Amino acid sequence: MLRRAVDRRGRRAAWIGLAALSVVLPFLLGAGALSTAVFVVIAAIGAVGLNILSGYAGQISLGHAFFLAVGAYTAAVLGGDHHLTAAIWLPAAGIMAALCGALVGPTALRLRGLYLAIVTLGLVYIGQYIFLNATGITGGPGGRAFPAVSFGSALNFAPGNQLQIAGLTIDSNALYYFLALVILWLAVGFTYSLQRTRVGRAFQAVRERELAASVMGVNLARTKVSAFVISSFLAGISGALFASYLSFVVPSQWDLLLSIQYIAAIIVGGMGTVLGPVLGSIVVFALPDLITHLSFVNTNGSGGITPGDLSNIIYGVLIIVFLVAEPRGIVGLGDRLASLLGGQRRRRDHPDPSRPSPETNPTTGGGVLP
Amino acid sequence: MTQFLQLASDGFALGCVYALVALGFAVVYRASQVINFAQGAMLLVGAYLVSLFAAYAGLPFWLAVILAVAILAASGVLFQMLVLRRTLGQPLFTIVMITIGLSIAVTAGVDAVFGPNQRLLGDPWGASRFHVGRVVFTWVEVWGVISAFVLLAAFFVFDRYSRYGLAMRAAAADPEAALAVGVPVRRVHALAWGIAGAVATIGGVFLAGFPNSPNPQLGDAALLAFPAIILGGLGSPVGAVVGGIIIGIVQVLTSGYEPGWTGNNFYEVAPYIVMIAVLLAKPYGLFGTRPAERL
Amino acid sequence: MMKGYLHRLGAICAVGAVALLAAACGTTSSSNTSSSTTASGLKVGPGVDVATKTITIGNIAALSGPAAALGVPALAGAETAVKAINAAGGVGGFKLKLLVHDAAYVPQNAVTAFNGMEASVAMIQNFGSPTTEAILPAVKADHVLVQPLSWDSAWDNQPNLAPLGTPYAYDVANGLDYLVKVKHLGTKVGIIYQDDAYGADGLRGFKVAVKDDGLTDVAEASYADTDTTFTAEVQKMKAAGAQIVVLTSLPSASGPIVGTAATLGYNPTYLFQGPAWLEQLITKTGALGAPPTPIAGALAKSTYVMGFATPWGNTAAPGMAAMLAAVKKYAPTQIPSVYFEWTWVQTHLAAAILAKAIANKDLTREGILNARLNLGTFNTGGLAPALDYTSALGPPSTKSIINRIDPSVLGFLKPVASGYQGTGSAGLL
Repeated sequence: MLRRAVDRRGRRAAWIGLAALSVVLPFLLGAGALSTAVFVVIAAIGAVGLNILSGYAGQISLGHAFFLAVGAYTAAVLGGDHHLTAAIWLPAAGIMAALCGALVGPTALRLRGLYLAIVTLGLVYIGQYIFLNATGITGGPGGRAFPAVSFGSALNFAPGNQLQIAGLTIDSNALYYFLALVILWLAVGFTYSLQRTRVGRAFQAVRERELAASVMGVNLARTKVSAFVISSFLAGISGALFASYLSFVVPSQWDLLLSIQYIAAIIVGGMGTVLGPVLGSIVVFALPDLITHLSFVNTNGSGGITPGDLSNIIYGVLIIVFLVAEPRGIVGLGDRLASLLGGQRRRRDHPDPSRPSPETNPTTGGGVLP
Repeated sequence: MTQFLQLASDGFALGCVYALVALGFAVVYRASQVINFAQGAMLLVGAYLVSLFAAYAGLPFWLAVILAVAILAASGVLFQMLVLRRTLGQPLFTIVMITIGLSIAVTAGVDAVFGPNQRLLGDPWGASRFHVGRVVFTWVEVWGVISAFVLLAAFFVFDRYSRYGLAMRAAAADPEAALAVGVPVRRVHALAWGIAGAVATIGGVFLAGFPNSPNPQLGDAALLAFPAIILGGLGSPVGAVVGGIIIGIVQVLTSGYEPGWTGNNFYEVAPYIVMIAVLLAKPYGLFGTRPAERL
Repeated sequence: MMKGYLHRLGAICAVGAVALLAAACGTTSSSNTSSSTTASGLKVGPGVDVATKTITIGNIAALSGPAAALGVPALAGAETAVKAINAAGGVGGFKLKLLVHDAAYVPQNAVTAFNGMEASVAMIQNFGSPTTEAILPAVKADHVLVQPLSWDSAWDNQPNLAPLGTPYAYDVANGLDYLVKVKHLGTKVGIIYQDDAYGADGLRGFKVAVKDDGLTDVAEASYADTDTTFTAEVQKMKAAGAQIVVLTSLPSASGPIVGTAATLGYNPTYLFQGPAWLEQLITKTGALGAPPTPIAGALAKSTYVMGFATPWGNTAAPGMAAMLAAVKKYAPTQIPSVYFEWTWVQTHLAAAILAKAIANKDLTREGILNARLNLGTFNTGGLAPALDYTSALGPPSTKSIINRIDPSVLGFLKPVASGYQGTGSAGLL
């Protein structure tokens, strides 16, 4: 009983510590590292969305890049062409993407597992085709500029602007960071509540055994479509912020590689966990940059490995090693650490996917001999 | 008419190469329910190895190909034994991600070792071609088609008539039962990956042939095999062949007869649109089978 | 349950309060130029180390990724130039130093790289169009001078950029003008372009030339840089009967395009944009005498290449001897590369700008920008198109170097026109 109380307080302390760290981080990091941190936090928002779709509801989707792009171009049209405030275009980006998610959702009713995965892959290519030809919105192959976040003329996040508040100077990078951080917190909080509600449990039921879930009374159609809608909403916001911070995007950037990075993020972090997507995003989106700084730079092409190549090699190997050694992701690693330090109850909260079950549904669960 | 025949033959030849790539996917999937995202990377390594042996080390082309096939087959087996065996019981997603990680690392490795420039393949056909009527065929294309059919025939024979082929089918259908009966399931899985590696090398050679050349972007070509295998039905070698050829023809014909209103690059999405259309009617592809589910 | 609700409510209120406070304070523009003055009255800004007498130039390179084949020799050229300049005494008593970061042609990485190096560099050399576009807002805010390795005409009117050479659009216009008016190779023209900013700029020049010279635009096709088959694009050109095909592509595409066309028995005249060309398209290693590639034959028939630098080894250019000597001393394994040549010139241009800034006693960010605006003419030694920077911005050069592919000469390019300016490009200004 006492152990449980200490446990809960320990966890609460950990959460608060994490939150506090995330708030002071911009003041501890240099400019380049802060830039990376901004991209990480923005990406984490999208990762949280994908985690809800694939981690909780078990629907494999390779099409995340498409929804990111829809959000970004909505922001471009509303914020860039019509000069509306971010208070309008940011949510609008999410809503537009969510609408697209609602359109794509029904395909998940007909298709399962890898078939669904490849169709969502097709979505990326169809998206690129559309973006390439919709030159009015996307600027065609040459790409287009995206508006900086601004809430009226008072609060503008464009580079070179800064905010003086309580004696602290917050530059434009940090402004983006904090905005994305708040949204991320909200998204994580939402995930936390979601998994405890009926809808969340319906998601997980669909993930585990679709047939059984529908027998139990879960409305498959509504569940799957809602999963897509929620996931796409977050993707739209993430995409809009990403494009806004990057300030210029060409349509060819919304490619398969981008989708794969998000999938890597949720898997490495721990699928179907609350913090997993955040931790995974840190690894996937910050690691290449970190490696670039650590590696021996090939500076004149005549020998040695280029930083880009080296970082990709390490990145790929790390994914493999990670997934082989700890398939439950970083969260799983954390659990192991925690149980080493004492406390067996964690296993109940984070089910072990490697426990075999007589399962033929390829979207989840064990029994797969590689 | 000439244009149609030319495009059709080009499409067929391209389709055969896709079929080869798709076969590699199908073999691995049949054995272990996994789509090997690293197939493209293996293709890339295969092409580069052949290029290294034939064009840079001066070996005869046939020897270079045999060496490359052997190395890649061995690598496939090694990868399966060292990495994938340890992932017993993982969700599908995880294993697919492992192959993606392999793909990223290998592609970067090729770039690091061989540099970013395009290379000579060292094949004996080069740009040589011949006419039949007004239609032009390159020897690379012809040999590509021949190799594809030979390999496919060999695989069918293996699958139907050899012990290991039977073992592979048994292991795919029900691993536990197969183990109980004495089928060496682990060895069979390793074998599947070895075959995939070998097939990838041959596919790589023809993808890197004229007018292309071995270059670091070659791995992306394997992506078009995805609509092929889905269209054909996962795990069906017949499906892989038919799917590959359909996709190849669709791609080239749409590119040749692109009506103006479709805008640019419609041929890139055409395969996916065809795939989606087929899936609407047959959710498991043309030759795929619906997995049996037990509650 | 209730407690959790209250907690959440509290958190939201806190966030809301902060947001209101932020809005009330509002953002202001920051002046990010720290500067100090040395004993001799020279004002210095970031990137200048008075103690060690070093000026740091940032270099955001593309050493891996799709543009690596171009980016690697490009960096080599900059580094060799730095060594040569330092050996000759440096710039105004200062030595130059390069701070290199590999962005692999990914805009996101370029932004991070820029942010990371911004405080420690005096100016920056950046590879690529989309990467330059991505860092442009921050560059302007921080008053940094950037030399883009890209010939997009979008740079023409930016005071923060120091482009070198003739923009893509002008090159295409001049090239087409030459082929049609001087060589009389036909008036039905088509273009195959990459689906990014580079391709878009080539397309722009193409359209203007078509209009001004009264040509017939029979076909336009774009491709993605990950494509490996080009039957579509070639078929489109062939079916439309294009006599001249402009290729605004990268070498990994130009080769297969020409090869595919040859297979189909279609042999138009090709006009390669600068970056579409690479020496390795002709022989195995790019060096003279190495085994030829299968497409060398097709390329040698009738292909013109817009050069952004004069062909390697062209001793008619006065600056060539110095460059070749430096190559021998500092980069003996370097094979002929127009990219190397170009960044050699680009780095000497950077040195000239810095020298002027030092002469003006102002090595702050503003000082360097000022020096660039008022540099006047810069002698490229014939290696690149002549340059004239004035405060009335505009393209650094509107004249083009036109070469023809000839596998028997060093570098495989034979100049056929230098300083050519057609009437077609007038529409671009």
